[in-house]
Amino acid sequence: MTALAITNATVPGRLAGVSLSLPRGKLVGLVGPNGSGKSTLLQLAAGILPPHGAVEWAGRPLAQIPALERGRCATWVPQDAQFEFGFTVRSVVGQGRYAHGDDARGVEEALASFDLLSLADRPVNQLSGGERARVLLARAVATAAPLQLWDEPLAALDPRHALETLRLAREISRRGATVLFSLHDLRAAHGLDLVVVLHELRLRACGAPDEVLTDALYLDIFGVRVVPAPGLSLELP
Amino acid sequence: MKARSPVSELALPLLVAALVVLAVLALGYGDLRLSPARVWAGLCHEDTLAATIVWQIRMPRVLVAMMVGAGLSASGLVMQAFFRNSLASPGLLGVSSGGAVGAVVAIALGWASSSLWTLPAAAIVGAFLATGAVLLLARHGASRERLLLAGVALNALLASITSYLLSQFTGPFEKNTQILFWLLGGLEDRTWEHVVIALPIVAAAALLWPLGRPMDLLSLGTREAQSLGVDVRSLRRRLLALATILTALATAVAGTVGFVGLVVPHIFRLLVGPEHRRLVPLSLVGGAAFVLACDLAGRAAGGLRLGVVTSLVGAPFFLWLLRRLP
Repeated sequence: MTALAITNATVPGRLAGVSLSLPRGKLVGLVGPNGSGKSTLLQLAAGILPPHGAVEWAGRPLAQIPALERGRCATWVPQDAQFEFGFTVRSVVGQGRYAHGDDARGVEEALASFDLLSLADRPVNQLSGGERARVLLARAVATAAPLQLWDEPLAALDPRHALETLRLAREISRRGATVLFSLHDLRAAHGLDLVVVLHELRLRACGAPDEVLTDALYLDIFGVRVVPAPGLSLELP
Repeated sequence: MKARSPVSELALPLLVAALVVLAVLALGYGDLRLSPARVWAGLCHEDTLAATIVWQIRMPRVLVAMMVGAGLSASGLVMQAFFRNSLASPGLLGVSSGGAVGAVVAIALGWASSSLWTLPAAAIVGAFLATGAVLLLARHGASRERLLLAGVALNALLASITSYLLSQFTGPFEKNTQILFWLLGGLEDRTWEHVVIALPIVAAAALLWPLGRPMDLLSLGTREAQSLGVDVRSLRRRLLALATILTALATAVAGTVGFVGLVVPHIFRLLVGPEHRRLVPLSLVGGAAFVLACDLAGRAAGGLRLGVVTSLVGAPFFLWLLRRLP
């Protein structure tokens, strides 16, 4: 079953004729150089940009899904957010349950998953960039939405939290959700189910990482050469 | 979930009590002082003289003060959530001035005498024009500084329009006095007519009541709120309309009264935190109490106008806030 289908999406100057279909229960990486349209594609998929082209969630056209229900179907995490007001970490993560009638289910688990229990009563406008990123991710996970769209979730995280986030994303996808997230760490991309490659606002490739991320593609799109090296490799203990 | 602190549990009942005490004091204060017992006798029509003073003279002023305070304070709270900017308020963004210019134009052109509703209608039109201008300037996610600088420019523009109108009507002294009244907000000589004009503030406040929760989400980001299930377009439209109407009606009956929408929501945010389900009722009741107290203080200080008192309190508070913000 399809979790997300985008047909011929064009946003003038930001995305050109992208069509894409992602199955359920997959962990999907979105890669591409700076300015290739990754954030735009994620926002379009999340229904945040005004519709250009057709977007379907689990086979339903976005236009047919009312606002509140959308909050249960899919969720989007921005690259970074500045918080003007001092809501506590717990109450911000609790906002993930807005579309569920603020029932607070899964909020404590989401806090624990992102190592936020010790920060739960701190105001969000006093957190560091990496802590903010974890709060946004925890809020998204608390929604329990089957389509998770994350914009560079790992960029601000330290190595341990980045690895834990990847592990959690993997777990969520095993339970049936599709997680589409943008990333720049191409080594991490090799461990995912699928990789979507954007280049100059167009979809360049979509498929299994080892088939898509070839040496030729690295050189062509990213302008880098692949050198096998016994470099540093990190994992959770 | 964390247990509520005693402050946030008790804040609303305490405020309502404070509002009642202030109202009794305000009804008793004036050229002829009335004790609380005599105020009560007047309210119950057991004392003819007290009844006349309380019902004919002082009650309209008290009611108008409370509605103006509730309206301006709630309007400020909404603008802060809407613009995600804790310094946004009707005065600083120029919405109050817009309402005042509308009222002044109506007076200057002689429309105001034609019907009771002309003046508030003109104030609402002026306030909406000012809100529209602010929205245009803030469309692409204005920073805190940009939004406030836009407000400075808008306020200057509107002040120049008012000055022009004043200079054009130097002849008819009465019009000039009326116009000056709107520029230096005050509550002198308010009648039951003004109470009627301000009454829609109560309706607007009731419409605002259930929007507290979605305001929480909106105040942390428009796109994020949308992704979490808030109908952002409809919510933003409703909030902006309510904030503008609240300010316009308050301005129509009391002129430009500054800083209420900035000071009151801030005090409660410091006391009970940023959650709007609590801030909406507290700002409404607290705003009413604040303006009633300022008006009473101004009268006790020998007839200082309300707008002067709120600015004397609010401007230093604003500067203090500026220092605290990152």
